[in-house]
Amino acid sequence: MSLIEVKNLSKHFKVLNRREGLRGSIKDLFSQDYRIVKAVEDINFDINKGEIVGYIGPNGAGKSTTIKMMTGILKPSSGILLANGIPPYSNRIQNAKKMGVVFGQRTQLWWDLPVIESFKILKNIYRVDDKTYDTQMGMFNSLIDLEKLYPVQVRTLSLGQRMLCDIAAAFLHNPKIVYLDEPTIGLDISVKAKIRAIIKELNKNQEITIILTTHDLGDVEALCNRIIIIDKGKILFDGPTQRVNQLFGSFRTLKVKIFEFNENTIPNIELAIKNKFQQSKSIHVKKSEDFWTDITFNQEETPLREVLNLVMNSFPVEDIRVVEISMENVVSQVYDGALT
Amino acid sequence: MAGLAYRSGYFFTIANNLIYMGIAFYLWQSIYGSREIIRGMTFNQTFLYLSLASSIFVLFQTWSDWEIGFQINDGSIITWMIKPLNYQFSIMASALGFVLTNLLTITIPTIIFLVFVFKVTFATGPGLIFFPLALVFSFLLTSTIDYIVGITCFYTESVWGLSITKDVIITFLSGSLIPLPFFPENIRSILEFLPFQAIYHIPLNMVIEPNQPTSEYLTMIGIQLVWVIILFVLSRQYYNKAVKKLRIAGG
Repeated sequence: MSLIEVKNLSKHFKVLNRREGLRGSIKDLFSQDYRIVKAVEDINFDINKGEIVGYIGPNGAGKSTTIKMMTGILKPSSGILLANGIPPYSNRIQNAKKMGVVFGQRTQLWWDLPVIESFKILKNIYRVDDKTYDTQMGMFNSLIDLEKLYPVQVRTLSLGQRMLCDIAAAFLHNPKIVYLDEPTIGLDISVKAKIRAIIKELNKNQEITIILTTHDLGDVEALCNRIIIIDKGKILFDGPTQRVNQLFGSFRTLKVKIFEFNENTIPNIELAIKNKFQQSKSIHVKKSEDFWTDITFNQEETPLREVLNLVMNSFPVEDIRVVEISMENVVSQVYDGALT
Repeated sequence: MAGLAYRSGYFFTIANNLIYMGIAFYLWQSIYGSREIIRGMTFNQTFLYLSLASSIFVLFQTWSDWEIGFQINDGSIITWMIKPLNYQFSIMASALGFVLTNLLTITIPTIIFLVFVFKVTFATGPGLIFFPLALVFSFLLTSTIDYIVGITCFYTESVWGLSITKDVIITFLSGSLIPLPFFPENIRSILEFLPFQAIYHIPLNMVIEPNQPTSEYLTMIGIQLVWVIILFVLSRQYYNKAVKKLRIAGG
């Protein structure tokens, strides 16, 4: 039986349609005008022991909602959800014993106390026996030199250090499943590398199943053997990482800033590209941040230098950046059937 | 440990409490004027009663209701929901921790001050033996009430108004601001049916009049116990309802 079973799972929220201004707020007190937000709509997947699954999608896709349901915090609107054979929502405490969570944007450690005290408290809360505790702490020490941080007050830790401690804390009681919600957000490359290393090691040694939500494709590449892409509450793709890598690893987004940007700029760029690269099916042009335009394309189809040449020769370019394809762009490509 | 992390707070709290007692001292001294006994209490008894009342209030000041409110508002309540813990017990355990540090750092110095500076005297008797037990029950009562107020924050988003209202109601109706004997008879009999007097008046009574028959004291403890059970059951029911709302509408 799989460790996590999800069948036809949905979560709808009833949201008040709020009106503007002070009079609006007062009217809202008596309003019955709700709309239904379908955060998660009829999703299905099974996760087996020992997998590291990347659960990715743009902001607002429904990732956090799914994670909250799997950790037992949110009650599903309909469908079946089982973790370790039991529904997490109705067995919150039992489920919590076998699970660890890292929320990238908040800590579960005790803010005012030294790091080591948080570990000791958690040892008690999860009833970890001395042997397991020593083994886990020993491993953290050898992998990320955690000992140095023991006497430091959590509030004075840097973001990277705090994240390492939070990860250690999540794995302390040797859980069966660990949910990592944006664990590398805001971190520099070297800390990211350390975090990826420790996650990989813990998964290999102790067969801990890991569900990772992230915006960083580097995390996905380094850790996940399987990717699930979700957008607007629905699953767009569920399969091995290699496939996504093959298809999108060679994609690039060329960001250009054109002098005197106006409402004709983007249509003009689109026209020029369509004319030059008629056989390329995967070039997309879209508006980005203020005054910038994103041109996303597959290098294997259209070499970078050709796109660059076209843009530089035909338009007054003020500034330019070349980046790997972003999650948003992956998803819009997937929408257009890039993975089918 | 978290309570001990911030030290200067203690000096201010002690000073605050002592100032209150000083005010109470002069106020009631002038109320008493040349009279020996009002409503069955001497000035010494009244002053002892009020000073102890305010000391107990400070002792039990654990801000649990605020803590719950903050956790809801900044979302950190989620870190509690993912742990295999009974939320109520973890809040009350945390409250107990605060009470113990309060006891050591605030209450004991205050009592020393009370005895040596204000020169308060008190009689001894069997009542004093029941006093600590009554205090334990008082703690259970007051922390459960704090918890209930905090849980209301699952529905409303602010705990401020409700918390202050709760403090005012408790201090006024429990006899801690004005000793119960000073209330008019008819109001007094109503108050006897409320749980608040079980928090303050009962233990204080044991110190003021420590020589009543033991059966009296057992009755008082009994009343406290009944209220502890009632409030506990209420708080469980309330939590179960409120947490459903929280977990359906979003973490």
